[in-house]
Amino acid sequence: MENMDLINLWKTQDAKLEKVLLINQMLLKEVTGQKAKSTLKSMIRFKIVGIITFVVYLLFLGFVLYYAIANYSSAWNYFIVSVTAITIINLRGFTDYIRHIVLASNINYNGRVMEIQQQFSKLQLSIIDHSKVMCLQFPFFTTFYLSSAWFPSQVGTAYIVLQVAITGAFVFLTYWLYKNHKPENLSKKWFRNLIAGSGGKSVARAIEFYNHMKSFKEEE
Amino acid sequence: MTSLDQTEIFLAVIQQNKGIIYKVANSYCQHPEERQDLVQEIVVQLWQAFKTYNSSFKHSTWIYRISLNVAISFYRKEKRRRHISNPLPEGILALTENPVAEEREGDLYLLQQAIAQLKELDRALMLLYLDEKSYMEISQIMGISESNVATKIGRIKIVLRKNFTQLKER
Repeated sequence: MENMDLINLWKTQDAKLEKVLLINQMLLKEVTGQKAKSTLKSMIRFKIVGIITFVVYLLFLGFVLYYAIANYSSAWNYFIVSVTAITIINLRGFTDYIRHIVLASNINYNGRVMEIQQQFSKLQLSIIDHSKVMCLQFPFFTTFYLSSAWFPSQVGTAYIVLQVAITGAFVFLTYWLYKNHKPENLSKKWFRNLIAGSGGKSVARAIEFYNHMKSFKEEE
Repeated sequence: MTSLDQTEIFLAVIQQNKGIIYKVANSYCQHPEERQDLVQEIVVQLWQAFKTYNSSFKHSTWIYRISLNVAISFYRKEKRRRHISNPLPEGILALTENPVAEEREGDLYLLQQAIAQLKELDRALMLLYLDEKSYMEISQIMGISESNVATKIGRIKIVLRKNFTQLKER
């Protein structure tokens, strides 16, 4: 089929659409008024649930940390160090989440297709960096319950060995996860499952699209 | 300009360019319900961007940019987002009859199917080419150089013709 044949065939659609495609003026007017606003509002509401959950968790961490410091004794040392680390890592996660929402809501669809799609893909891929940082808190969940009052002085060697083994395993796991949190691993099932909760499927699609975009941009 | 004037102008612009919105939505969403959601999302984004519309661009260029950006982003989103958060009960664009219904196996239907088989960005380029946009205009919409537009179109046309022929032979 020749080029002009394709174009002429496509044009037959235009002629038909002109006849059969009607605009529902009432609905269109609704979009320019209340409906458009409420669509935006419900998107913001959805994001606000995430923000509130994060804030409640951070407040809880802040409260227990404050309580531990206000009633300080050396027995609290493990707890204070662990919860401080968990709080700092979650604060970083929270600021990433807010930054992500602000960037996403500021994307203007008015721009050139390649520029806008690149911004979208980068935002989707930033999820990998976000979950990479969040992994760093894992080892601290194995130490916060220890107390200088009884550890290691009051426990047997077996307990110490077990504790070191568990914490060591978590440190190694964290190091491994941190090192392997990269877009190249999106082809691996374990990685997709790991980030599935943070939108792993859309991240997988984003990387595929990002590669398509890279080759599309290249001059041939 | 009062907000009432602005609304009236916007409605007229949409009326004149309804075909673009439909063709883009139809190329990225084969499912009628999803297509209805996509049309609504395109119109919402067009309305929000209308206040900052740059009159140095033609209305059609502006509509193509926003429609393609919304459609490509919508297409990539997860299936759980099949319905947008606050869908309207009916569609903004309604067909009194399906323009390809009487020829489901006809060439236009096959061409639509062949276009749907292309990758997202190739599909966008082909829609603009088939609507006879100049290379300069396509370059402004897509954000790639005119020479790149020319070579890409040459390559994609070969793939499109191959897809079309395969569909016709089935």
